[in-house]
This record gives sequence, structure tokens and C-alpha cells, in this order.
Amino acid sequence: MSDWRRIDIDAFDPESGRLTAQDLIPPYTTVVTLADLQPKISQLRSLSSSGDVNSAINLATTDPPYSADENTKAEYFRAVLDTLKQVRQADITNIVKSLDSKQHDVLIKFLYKGMSIPEGQKQGGILLTWFEKLTQIAGVTPVVHYLSDRNTV
Amino acid sequence: MSQSLRPYLTAVRYSLEAALTLSNFSSQEVERHNRPEVEVPNQSAELLLQPMHISRNEHEQVLIEPSINSIRVSLKVKQADEIEQILVHKFTRFLEQRAESFYILRRVPIQGYSISFLITNKHTESMKTGKLVDFIIEFMEEVDKEISEMKLFLNARARFVAEAYLGEFVY
Repeated sequence: MSDWRRIDIDAFDPESGRLTAQDLIPPYTTVVTLADLQPKISQLRSLSSSGDVNSAINLATTDPPYSADENTKAEYFRAVLDTLKQVRQADITNIVKSLDSKQHDVLIKFLYKGMSIPEGQKQGGILLTWFEKLTQIAGVTPVVHYLSDRNTV
Repeated sequence: MSQSLRPYLTAVRYSLEAALTLSNFSSQEVERHNRPEVEVPNQSAELLLQPMHISRNEHEQVLIEPSINSIRVSLKVKQADEIEQILVHKFTRFLEQRAESFYILRRVPIQGYSISFLITNKHTESMKTGKLVDFIIEFMEEVDKEISEMKLFLNARARFVAEAYLGEFVY
């Protein structure tokens, strides 16, 4: 008890009104599990391997698993990252143009997530190209949406 | 500017522009205190926004941690070998010891990064936000150049010293 002056007593008070990161996760009515998501992941992989990257990106950015746990999100993200890698640089602009603004918001979440984990950092150049094309088309808007959105991918 | 550097700096610029919308916000915990919320750990998670990682590769990264009244920008400068590690360490230490003349520089970088900046609402009120972003972008461009220049200079000097010293033993 040598540093008792440094003990944060408010942290032990249940009525302090403090919020933790856990309290800020939005309440989800349904929780997506890995088993629920498996068909979507395999569809995503088959689309990207058959070369239909346009629909693959469209599928990936529609209704992402916000309510899933970290492992499921990581699994889903690996499939998305593989899809993003498949796309040729010249096609990126057209694909981003075909998405609507909600999908732009989801796409930028994937890009930031990718750059925060080692697998994505190896592909930093590709993710940064996506980021550049996205901001050329949608401007700073998706970045601002990302900042305050508590739904994470 | 090289082909892969431009998208990197563009991403940092957009992220900073979005994050640098700060407002004056007094502490919710302590009366008459006004502190950068990003630096206050384990309190008021609602004041912190989503952190943004921007990485060119494993060795060059930027982490932007935004909050309601302050943002923390941390850079990881490329360090390819031991000489560069030493040079980056010495260089950032030199700057950090003079942190008050840089206003936005943080005295200690956060774990895993080479140098950190802390921008609060005081800074954005007294300085132009666009210019602050420009400064950080310019810093990122210059620091790589500076380090590689220092490395060349160091190697040239080492060679000269070795020649002068070992020349004594040649008969």
C-alpha cells in the first residue's frame, strides 16, 4: 500500500457515472456468430476468386458483422482483405464510385482496421491506394463518420 | 515525391483534418480543471473517439488518437538498421528536450512510436488548423530525408577517420 495516494477511489464507486469502453458498445438485438457468418464469408471468397470483385466489394461492405465478437470479426476481415488485394489498381475508382455513402463508411472502417493489424500493414500500399481513391471520390466525409461511429468492424 | 509516399501523406492529411475539430471542454471529474482528455486514462471513455492507424508498412506508421478537446499524433519513423535506430533516437530526443518551443510536441513518445505530438483546443484556437496539418505532413517528409542524410554524413566521417587513423600504420 505504498502508493495509496494514487488509488483512484472513484473507479470503485458504482454511482460515479463513469463510462468505460464496454458501456459504449451499442446495444445489439441480435448477435452474429461465426456459424451465421460462414456462408457470407465463403460467398465473398468465391466471388473474389472468380474475379467478380465488384460484387465482392459490394457484398463485403453491406451489413458488416458489427455485433459479432472479435474472432468472428477477424475472420470476416481476412476475407475482406483478400478481396481488397485482388482488385487491380485501375478498377478501384470505378468500384468505389458504384458504392453508396453508407458503404463508403464501412469501407473506410475496413481500411483503418487493416492498417492497425500486422496482416494489413504488410499490404499497407494497397490499403493506402484504396484510401486515396475513396477520399478522392467521397472527400473527408467517411473519415468524419468513422471517428464518431461506435460500431466497429 | 515517391509513388508510395503520396497516398500515405494524403491519408494522414485527411485523417488529421477530420480529427482536428476540437472544442473547449472542462474536466468532468475535477472542478476547474481543463485537461487534454486523450491523456487522461481510464476515465470518460465517451470523450475518446475511434483511434486511426495509418501505416505504409510495418516500419512506418502513424497513430492518431482523437478526443473531444485534444488529439495525439504518434509517428513511427523508418529505422532500417542499428545506425538509423540510434540516429532517430538522438534526433527525436533532441527535439523533445526543446518541446516548449515546438508547442505541440509531446515530451515523451507513446510506447512503440518514435515521436508524438499533442494538439489541444488551445493550439487550434491560437494557430491555423490547416497550417498545423501542413506542419506535421512536412515534418514526416523531412524526417526521413534528415535521417538518411545524417547516416551518409556519419558513414563518410567514419571512413575519413578510419583512413586518417590507420594511415599512421602504413609504412
